[in-house]
Amino acid sequence: MIDNEAQIATRGDTSRRAFLQRSLWLSTFLVAGQLVRATPSEAKQLGFTPQVLSAEQVRALEAVADFLVPGATAAGIAPYIDDQLNKGDKSLLMIKYLGVPLPDQAGFYTSALTAIDQALNDASSPTHQKINDLIKAMGSDTVNNWQAPPASFVLFVLRSDGLDVTYGTPAGFADLGIPYNAHIEPIELW
Amino acid sequence: MVATSPNISTQQHYETVIVGAGAAGLLLAARLAEAGQQVVVLEAGPERSLNQLTSSQIWARRLKWAGPHVEEDGNHKIGHAFNAGWGTGGSALHHYAVWLRLHERDFTVASDSGVGLDWPISYEDLRPHYDRIQREVGISGDATADIWRPKGEPYPMPPLPVFSQGQVLQKGFSKLGLRTSPLPLAINSQPYNGRASCLYDGWCDAGCPNGALANPLVTWLPRAKAAGAEFIHDAYVTRVLRSAKNSAKISGVEYVHQGNTQTISADRVIIAAFTVQSTRILLNSADAENPAPGNRYDQLGRYLTTHPAATIFGIMEEETYPHQGVSGGQLLCQDLYDNPDDKLGASQWLIANAVKPHDLLGYGTSRPDIVGAKLKAWLTHAAKHLANMNIVVEDIADPDNRIRLSDNKDATGARLAHTTHNLSAATNKLWNTRVTQSEEIMRAAGATEVWHGPQAPMHIMGGTVMGNDPSQSVTDSYGRVHDTDNLYVAGPSLFPGTGAVNPTFTMSALASRQADFLSRKP
Repeated sequence: MIDNEAQIATRGDTSRRAFLQRSLWLSTFLVAGQLVRATPSEAKQLGFTPQVLSAEQVRALEAVADFLVPGATAAGIAPYIDDQLNKGDKSLLMIKYLGVPLPDQAGFYTSALTAIDQALNDASSPTHQKINDLIKAMGSDTVNNWQAPPASFVLFVLRSDGLDVTYGTPAGFADLGIPYNAHIEPIELW
Repeated sequence: MVATSPNISTQQHYETVIVGAGAAGLLLAARLAEAGQQVVVLEAGPERSLNQLTSSQIWARRLKWAGPHVEEDGNHKIGHAFNAGWGTGGSALHHYAVWLRLHERDFTVASDSGVGLDWPISYEDLRPHYDRIQREVGISGDATADIWRPKGEPYPMPPLPVFSQGQVLQKGFSKLGLRTSPLPLAINSQPYNGRASCLYDGWCDAGCPNGALANPLVTWLPRAKAAGAEFIHDAYVTRVLRSAKNSAKISGVEYVHQGNTQTISADRVIIAAFTVQSTRILLNSADAENPAPGNRYDQLGRYLTTHPAATIFGIMEEETYPHQGVSGGQLLCQDLYDNPDDKLGASQWLIANAVKPHDLLGYGTSRPDIVGAKLKAWLTHAAKHLANMNIVVEDIADPDNRIRLSDNKDATGARLAHTTHNLSAATNKLWNTRVTQSEEIMRAAGATEVWHGPQAPMHIMGGTVMGNDPSQSVTDSYGRVHDTDNLYVAGPSLFPGTGAVNPTFTMSALASRQADFLSRKP
């Protein structure tokens, strides 16, 4: 379990700057019944316990998001979405801009991810081709028996969420070669 | 009739109650308190301070509207959750500080074109207030190069620098015979009035914590506090209350604070809660004996407007480094503002905006077709070679575009707002024309790949429009609500027309004119 900065520092780059930077980009997650401070990707590795999403919905989310934005799963797409949905009216999900009221956000994601999981036939490890076919069908709103918000809209939202966690952070900027140049560094990623 | 409620717990009296701590409300709070009035400001959202303005597009979302849902329909929805603010500073806390004056012709649209509305005042009425505001707040620009600008004092600061993205795009405009000037911005190009100069890191949308951008936390709020204005946050106003003795007199407001319904009485009430909520508060203030204030002729909520806009993107051969600069842009083109050819409406280009790879306006978000293994390579290239510009088109005021009350209610029992906004065929045509021209400009500048984002709503105006005829407007030219003695509205909901310019400067000039009037009024 990662529960303090010293332990975090021993897991990777131990330079003082990296240590300090990393200690800034933590969130709180439920892991094995305990709240721990970790980066989203660490929370993923530690097997965080989702508070809003089901295991099947997490599985569907990671399959589609990582197909759209490679690296989204490792960056913590599932802890991110689950954490935000758990925050209620403090949610920072981009969907707030897209006409989905804050109280309806959890229902949006749970219904959409259930529909995706069912479209993938509850597969725990769907093939690349199978996900590709689903993405195409979602883009044209032609998924059979789709019982959720419009699939093309869901696709846009999940891709945007994937961009948020993968490239919307100081580490993501660095990965693209963009100077972050924060005026006030994020204390937490989200 | 004064409404009573069993759980009303306190009552206080002030000379002026201002509802909303955005740019208009705080300007009025500062000026009226400095004039000696006892002022209290009620803000529905939380208290904000500069140290909360984290440089993150994700964290920036907490600055956007988080109050009761606004229902939207029409072919061009207004995008309330993106455009509105939440907490001290309101939407101006995350605005981009593109401070442009309306043109003289924008005040006479109906007289000139037979559509929309005229303003009850002229540019000359606002000109001294534009000048005063820009002296007090500070604007960086080049009044000589800004050849389209109406008469007024030159900008008090030199323009912000033009970075590589702006230099590249300027060539495209020039090749097509279009002129550009440095974009006038309420952002310091040099230290001004005790505030620092800009760092050009493109975090404007997340709120500027160093004071370079003129958000209300660094302009009006310190003045208001120094002059003794009081503030109550988490004070969600549900309606205004009429005097039992005189229905033209507003006795105060009802609000919910920490779960309790309370009232404050006042000699004067100013509603400055941004376009939709200002209108909603008035609509929710109808009672058994009286229509909603200003709604005797069913005008309240009508003429809702929003600029139809679009972002045009290009991948350039030259390096552009689009993270540099400020969110509002680097250059301006208003060569086609007055649109002499087809008289469809005004329009402008805001050129070379600083952009991020993600979030609603991010370039990564703008290309949903790019997924999988090719995404990172594309983003990495775009991070150094992307250019973008925005078109802003005039929205012609239409009485059928309006804010109504929904049948649905919020947690306090107050009815939600429901907005309807459709663009006319003529405005759509102009928008399409400008998008096509923008793509030509982008190619002329050297783009190898060009695309544009969706038709987007930029800014929200109207709903409590001012006018001389009470049967066709909601307030007079000072924002006093018709049929009332002491109820005022401030903010962009007063605008009878939009022009094609960003509204904050005009809204501020209008509030300055109101402040002068209300300071003199006993």
